[in-house]
Amino acid sequence: MLSHATTRDWLIPYADGMLAVDERRRIDGHIAGCASCAGELREVRELNLLLVTLPPAPPVAFAPFWLNLQAVLPQRRLMRMPRIQPYRRLGIAFAMAVTAALVAAGSAFAAPAALPDNPLYPVKQLEEGVRLALAPANERMPIQLQLANERLREAQAMAANHKPLLAENSLRAFRVIVDDAAAALKNPADPKAAKTTKDALHSLHLRLDAVERENANRGDDDQEVKQLVAAANDELDRIEQEDAVAAPPTLVIGEQATPRPTPRPTPRPTPRPSDKDHRD
Amino acid sequence: MAQSEEVPSTEGDAEERRLIDRSAAGDQEAFRQLVLRYHRLVINVAFRALGEVALAEDVAQDVFVKVYKALPAYRHDKPFKHWLHRVAANTVTDSLRRRRPVVSLDGLDQPLVSAGSDPQDIAARHDLQRAVRHAIASLPPHYRDTIALQAFGELSYDEIAKALDIPLGTVMSRLNGAKRLLREHLGDLVSPSEEANTA
Repeated sequence: MLSHATTRDWLIPYADGMLAVDERRRIDGHIAGCASCAGELREVRELNLLLVTLPPAPPVAFAPFWLNLQAVLPQRRLMRMPRIQPYRRLGIAFAMAVTAALVAAGSAFAAPAALPDNPLYPVKQLEEGVRLALAPANERMPIQLQLANERLREAQAMAANHKPLLAENSLRAFRVIVDDAAAALKNPADPKAAKTTKDALHSLHLRLDAVERENANRGDDDQEVKQLVAAANDELDRIEQEDAVAAPPTLVIGEQATPRPTPRPTPRPTPRPSDKDHRD
Repeated sequence: MAQSEEVPSTEGDAEERRLIDRSAAGDQEAFRQLVLRYHRLVINVAFRALGEVALAEDVAQDVFVKVYKALPAYRHDKPFKHWLHRVAANTVTDSLRRRRPVVSLDGLDQPLVSAGSDPQDIAARHDLQRAVRHAIASLPPHYRDTIALQAFGELSYDEIAKALDIPLGTVMSRLNGAKRLLREHLGDLVSPSEEANTA
């Protein structure tokens, strides 16, 4: 038979239904003959009852909740100017403009090749954002594909440099780009571009394989990188499959071509309202 | 007591993962969709802990701001929902701890009140709930966070273990300790009535 101390240690999981059947039986056996432990069990159950009486919230409208939340969400790319005396602003603005021009001239050359661990990387992101935003709708997809390739190049380099967190960030950014471009990739505006798109998707698959290999080779074998690569491959597969479904039938030339001419449509009388009853 | 965990579909997982990644990259529309999925859960946790709708909404907003800031570092090694529960429970208990008790346990000599509609009953029930909340808030942090997930988040032992990254046995021992202290804090409130004893 269980002691009082052991029984009391198990009363709370017992009341929460967390004990195995044989453990419950042993507690049942003790409680049946022990008024003190039975009293303690009642107190435990009374406490549980008190805890479950805390009611859920009444319905709350989502729209105002989101608006209030959005107003306090941090703006990740927001730059703030400190408060400065008006007469100093001109001087500072001029100095900043000169510095910015010099930095921009230098960084314009260096930034496109910058990797995520490079201080110039934010400049590169900014440049890419501007480039994409200014591109006409019909020219966005090639740029997106180029940027997607670039993210994978970065991920591969970061995996090679034992920086799996930065590799993960590049892979996430890759997915965001592919996700944005998905609609255009599935239904290219120019049918001639379908072949190019297919080649580009194939190239992205190869790049993803290279990232995974690098991740595995360097001994980090980061699980998150692996999962992100797998998810990105799945996403590309989905795009390819839907692209294949939407693509026009391929023209077959040679012996396998269908010799039959296209049958003419048989004219059918327009059904009258009374015909409706006879249809299946 | 514990709600059964919904088993999200693989498609649902993939969609949620996409929303999380996009939110982490600064996409507020994706974050809006995440909030739309989980705001009810977080407000419920906050309301159970605090008992006031306006306050619960404010704390729920704090929870989502913390989540938004922390998302770039979030790794998909545990379900988002469990991670969210943990952030919510921490934020809510912090807020509860900052608010000093407004009810004296001395005035609460009645055991558990019935769920009637009598104004006196309702007032007594509210006082009782406040007493429970503040008793939870006064617990040591490791007990408080664990019991908060059970009482406010309605999580099972298993879900608490996953949310806090601790073994199931530790959850049992913490809940044991937490409930022992709660019974001491709440005193007569958890003593069954005479009728119950004789029944």
